Amino acid sequence: MKDLITIGLPSKGRLKDNAISFFNDRGLKILQSEKERNYFGTIENKPNIKIIFLHAKEIIQRLGDGTLDIGVSGLDLLKESDINLQGKINIQRKLDFGNANLVIAVPDDWIDVQTIADLEEVSFDIRSKRNARLRVATKYPNLTNNFLISKGVTQYKLIPSLGATETYPFIGSSEIITDITSTGKTLADNNLRLLKDGLILSSNACLLFAKKKATKLQPFLKSFG
Amino acid sequence: MKSKKLSETIIKTFKTNGFVLSEPDVLLDSDYIIERSGEKFRSSMLTFDREDGKTMCLRPDLTVASCISFLQKKTSSKIYYSGQAYRRSGGKGTNFINDQLGIEILGSKNKIQDDFKVINTILSSAKKIKRKKILIKVGDISLFKSLINSLDMPERWKLRLIRHFWKPSYFEELLKRLEKNTDIDAVTFDADKKRFYEMKKLDQDKVVAGRSISEILKRFDKKIKDPRSFVDGKKIVKIITSFLKINCKLSELDEKLLDFAKKNNLKKLNQDVNFIANFGRDVEYYTGIVFEVFSGKNEIARGGRYDDLLKSLGAKKNIPAVGAAINLKNI
Repeated sequence: MKDLITIGLPSKGRLKDNAISFFNDRGLKILQSEKERNYFGTIENKPNIKIIFLHAKEIIQRLGDGTLDIGVSGLDLLKESDINLQGKINIQRKLDFGNANLVIAVPDDWIDVQTIADLEEVSFDIRSKRNARLRVATKYPNLTNNFLISKGVTQYKLIPSLGATETYPFIGSSEIITDITSTGKTLADNNLRLLKDGLILSSNACLLFAKKKATKLQPFLKSFG
Repeated sequence: MKSKKLSETIIKTFKTNGFVLSEPDVLLDSDYIIERSGEKFRSSMLTFDREDGKTMCLRPDLTVASCISFLQKKTSSKIYYSGQAYRRSGGKGTNFINDQLGIEILGSKNKIQDDFKVINTILSSAKKIKRKKILIKVGDISLFKSLINSLDMPERWKLRLIRHFWKPSYFEELLKRLEKNTDIDAVTFDADKKRFYEMKKLDQDKVVAGRSISEILKRFDKKIKDPRSFVDGKKIVKIITSFLKINCKLSELDEKLLDFAKKNNLKKLNQDVNFIANFGRDVEYYTGIVFEVFSGKNEIARGGRYDDLLKSLGAKKNIPAVGAAINLKNI
């Protein structure tokens, strides 16, 4: 079908539910397969639209390679992705769910560290005393790197993490972390604290589309404002 | 062909002056370099993963590679290198390969003599390849440090300015803040006194995320005592910028510096050094004299003293060093 539009939606959790409501609220009723674990869906009375449920990170990738035309995913994941990939994706609009902040967190007991400037000094301390670099564990190496360098912090080393990053400072895998948080509870429960000027990115869910398909999608996208 | 002949002429001069060929490894341990040079280096390195999981990189720079080779005791201390270094330099379509040709004195004991030796060797090679009028620009990073240390401002500001001197754009930002007296720490400083006293009772050797309790409390204490605000930001910025404007012939330098010192009453600047102040500010590891050799408008060589690099690359003690490289592209 020539005018087929493929939309990628998050496959799990609140992000999935909110994304579905967003379409439903605009009269685009999403129909999911009766098979509970099936990844495909449709929109009522719109035979030219195909819905695919994917991991939020995957949605960014597939928008970039043209598999998807439209997608809902997090701003954090878009900004973290490869710069060439970002160039292929446009933000149609920000959505009012999926709010979360990417922040720097340090152990509660580092009472002398309240700001990035403190962190910068401590990183030099570690460098001169132990000839090592301050280790920063993160799931967001690109955003973290750009942020720290822009704030004049240079004496650090990134430790890539896949999950439970909050444990890293206490098991000797890193000194500090950056992580995504919406309420701050997980950080607090794990004896971590935010820096006063340590907000890297304020993220939320976004309606995205593949730049290449802009002309074809314009009539459809208009209805979302 | 022409450039090959040029290199040969230059190398001949290096050898005559007692420098011995160093052939550092092309493949280096990427983690080792990042550990020592920072994340910023990572994006410019060309890396690949070995089968055993180790990440290797092509040598990004011959000074660093030669230092590593020296530390592995593969070379003598007075060396020259001639070869390729590999790194990305931003921008599309730029070349990954940099031909580097240079000299280093690693473990340089007589600083003044060795600085002179390096500059002189580079200068005589420059003269051999007959060019337009040759001009040398010289600076000294350590003089900037003495200046900052002689000024009356909170300790953390001194450290900041010294640490970021090699990043001119960020340095400018710092000066603006200093001028307006807006401290980066301006956010209200919560003296978490209660926790401070609780922690004082804990085992002081206990380690929290790599830092001992005593280390944390010591810095906390120091921070409280370091004044949060001070009045003279504007005056200090003026002194720093007027210092960075010094740019004169060697023969006029004494007078200029003296004038500068007099005007600002900086008696501690009593140094017998010759230079252009705002200089050599793009390489993090320089610590002392820095220089560039120009032929007409082209920079054909540059170098400087880097007394801390070898230690940061893993040497057990400080090994002072000085070196320079010829810029073949501009010859």
